[in-house]
Amino acid sequence: MADIPRRVPVAAPLGESAWRVRARRWRELLGAMLSNPTTVIGLVLIVGMLAVALFAPVLTEANTPDPYQMPRDWGALNEPPGTPGHALGTTNTGGDVLYGIIWGARTSLRLSLIVVSLTVVVGVAVGSLAGFAGGRVDEILMRIVDVFLSIPELIFALAIAAVLGPSFRNIILALAVVFWVKYARIMRAQIIHIKENDYVDAARVIGDSAWRIYATDVLPNSITPVIVQATLDMGHIVLVGATLSFIGLAEAGLAEWGVLVSEGQAGISAGRWWASTFPGLMVFLWALAFNLVGDGVRDVLDPRTESAR
Amino acid sequence: MQIRDYVLRRLLVLPLLVVGTSIIVFSLTRIGGSPIGIYLSHEMDAQEVAQLEERFHLDDPLPVQYVYWATGVLRGDLGWSGVAAAPVTEVFPAKLTASMELAIASAIVAVVLGLALGTYAGARRNRLPDHITRIFAISGASMPLFWFAILLLIVFWVRLGWFPVGRSNAEIFFSIPHPTGMYTVDALLATDATALRDALWHLALPAICLGYGATAIIARMMRSSLVEELQEDYVDAARAKGLPERLVLKRHARRNALIPTVTVIGLTFGFLLQGAVVAEIIFQWPGLGRWMADAVLRGDQATIMAYVMFTSVLFLVVNLVVDVVYAYLDRRVVLGE
Repeated sequence: MADIPRRVPVAAPLGESAWRVRARRWRELLGAMLSNPTTVIGLVLIVGMLAVALFAPVLTEANTPDPYQMPRDWGALNEPPGTPGHALGTTNTGGDVLYGIIWGARTSLRLSLIVVSLTVVVGVAVGSLAGFAGGRVDEILMRIVDVFLSIPELIFALAIAAVLGPSFRNIILALAVVFWVKYARIMRAQIIHIKENDYVDAARVIGDSAWRIYATDVLPNSITPVIVQATLDMGHIVLVGATLSFIGLAEAGLAEWGVLVSEGQAGISAGRWWASTFPGLMVFLWALAFNLVGDGVRDVLDPRTESAR
Repeated sequence: MQIRDYVLRRLLVLPLLVVGTSIIVFSLTRIGGSPIGIYLSHEMDAQEVAQLEERFHLDDPLPVQYVYWATGVLRGDLGWSGVAAAPVTEVFPAKLTASMELAIASAIVAVVLGLALGTYAGARRNRLPDHITRIFAISGASMPLFWFAILLLIVFWVRLGWFPVGRSNAEIFFSIPHPTGMYTVDALLATDATALRDALWHLALPAICLGYGATAIIARMMRSSLVEELQEDYVDAARAKGLPERLVLKRHARRNALIPTVTVIGLTFGFLLQGAVVAEIIFQWPGLGRWMADAVLRGDQATIMAYVMFTSVLFLVVNLVVDVVYAYLDRRVVLGE
């Protein structure tokens, strides 16, 4: 067989590399997203809360030695909002609600970033392997995914966190174990679909290695649904994580929204509404922001659903 | 592929998934170490502990332990619930009926409200009611149930005093017999209006709270599928022959829009199942979810295993039913396999 030269200079009339085409497409998508007011509201909320998380040490005096622990002001228990020094009031153990909200944003950011990056990496790897390898490997991996998906996610995470023992670190672990399967499924479906394309065949014909085809042709073209799901999960994971810590699986005294709501719950019958209301509102806004943006991204990427809006 | 084959294949896979789930659940509880702890007391010496381990087969390799556990489960032995201080199977039925009552009430709230809202918004696309419904629906997906429940309590229990917490007024509870364990049904059977009012009164807040998320999902689906149907030719034809808009909506568009919505209704079931844990804690509802939460906090493995297995099997069966119904309604699903 005649030697086929690698990387035949295929005619590129527009003079654009694949990456430049992609970059242009992303710019267009971003423009389309920004024309949707609800997406913009979501983005503003996200930027605001990220700023709170990042500047937490500037906004409040960090508690020593561990800033993620609520500072206790034993001289100011159950103070209502508006008390000097405690703008949003205090809990029944003298925790400053405002401090909890601000450092809770940091806790939530940490939680969602760790869980989303872990689950995306594992899910994309497993999904790619299944989609590429096909056959028995695919069959086995997907049956494992099916089993994971057959346990309702909150209950699964609850059981894992319970078995590992109550701590915030274990909540992170539990969520990671539960959430990777979605990405595996999405990625596998994408790979199977994308690898049927002519450009993949073309790359194979000119002798590109499987790894090269995956990295340059298949992965960049199949990653968008993963990004949509990851955006939605940034919000969803904080929602589920806060639920687990509300139930009591995080350390008491942690500056985390679910813990604070749970701490405030005892006081509501006595009329002390603030300790639960404000931190819960933060969980809601966090999840709402990422849902709005995630929906916006999906609308832009999938015109079919947009027409129904 | 024929629908019959599709259903058969799904039915054959179901037991495999249940076995897979049980393996995960079993391995999970063993990660936390041997469950021997609950049988131990201070006076025991090493030899007695070893005897106990032998008696409960805890000295065998894990796969062997799994087989012992699985055969036990099949024989109806789910172990001892430390939280309830009784065998799991003994406590389970009463907790289940309490949870069922709440779940059914929430489902009724969600279906009625969701369909009504979705229809109302879909028929008024891009007008104010539509925007309000959209905000309501997006909020539903972002709402932490535990927070929503507490807000409801702050407003309707603490401030206004309109609704109670718990499941029943003690005096009224003892005034009628409870053959089914669902207090509303029991009150109906006893034809006791006071008891029925009391049962519904206690049920209202938790049902609304638990149903909210599902309501939002159903409303959203109903809306978008109605909007799609209203663009179809048959709708124009119905309008052209002079049918009033109300009837176009009621007799034609809404009926077709219900098809995809019905399957979504089935899928929201998972929502109710998971939310029940939180709703039952906050509203002090003595059901499975609250039992599970207690078990989780106190490391009661038998209860955790039973609960996770039960919800998973339920979840699998409901999803199967939903998929089959969907396959019947939309043949393309099966042909596309």
